[in-house]
Amino acid sequence: MSAHAATHDHHGPVAWPRDAQYGTATPGKIGMWIFLVSDAFSFAAFLIANGILRSGAAVWQQPGEPPLGINFTAGLTVLLVLTSLTNVIGYTAAVQGKKKQATWLLALTALGGLLFLVGQYQEWFGIWGPGLVHEGLVFGHSARASIFYVTTGFHGLHVLAGVVYMLAVTVGYLRGKAGPGQIELMSLFWCFVDFVWIFVFTFIYLFP
Amino acid sequence: MESSPAADPSTSAPVHASLRESLLVFVVLGILVLFELGIVKMPGIARVPAMVALVALAVSKALLIGFFFMHLRSETRALKLTVLAPFLFPAVYALVLVGDAAWRMLR
Repeated sequence: MSAHAATHDHHGPVAWPRDAQYGTATPGKIGMWIFLVSDAFSFAAFLIANGILRSGAAVWQQPGEPPLGINFTAGLTVLLVLTSLTNVIGYTAAVQGKKKQATWLLALTALGGLLFLVGQYQEWFGIWGPGLVHEGLVFGHSARASIFYVTTGFHGLHVLAGVVYMLAVTVGYLRGKAGPGQIELMSLFWCFVDFVWIFVFTFIYLFP
Repeated sequence: MESSPAADPSTSAPVHASLRESLLVFVVLGILVLFELGIVKMPGIARVPAMVALVALAVSKALLIGFFFMHLRSETRALKLTVLAPFLFPAVYALVLVGDAAWRMLR
């Protein structure tokens, strides 16, 4: 990228020039994409480990272990996809200068992320019903239990990080310290959380 | 909210998604989740075809999110390749390693 063509202003946004290979993608965006790809490999490692353990096990679901709640988790999946939608619409509103609309949509997205975490807590430990821990799926007692908690826990940490990141960017946006550029990077991370969940849902919950 | 070019120069690409398009993608993703539930809950579907169908549905959903919600479709070919090409490696590792474990189990 020809850095000399970039117009720098110490207090304003950077108008990044068009690059022959990467178009108008900013270094921040390319960096975020590379981070996300490397992060995806961590999830891939867990899911491959799940596949190896599962195909090498004579009995995968040990006696006394409960099945995973597919219907409930499908609901959580739709909730996460819905937050990606509100996130994308919020980003579009920010680009169009609709600050109030963008702020509400991003806050709604963060709320959806928190609801997902509540749902995951219910699934693990139980709030309005028994959780998997109480039903016999205990970390360390079987390969199935351990890979389940490690993989969904790792994803849950990403959701938590995404909520914190989103709230920080939204507050910065309200205070005029962040703009659509920062929201775009944060949106990439948030949609990535949804992206990897699709594979976690398929390989951990749905595979027969 | 219809699409319009980015007004802020700190955003790297124009806004490409319209509200209608984003809603359509959301609806399609929801329908694909229902398909997945149908495959899992419908009796009589053999294990291997079910697994192939579930993987195909997962990849379809991931591509929809990547291309539309993450705006990958409006990026250059070089950026698309930078992002998508590395995913071939874990796919190959999965086939080889999981296949090996399954083969040793059956042996």
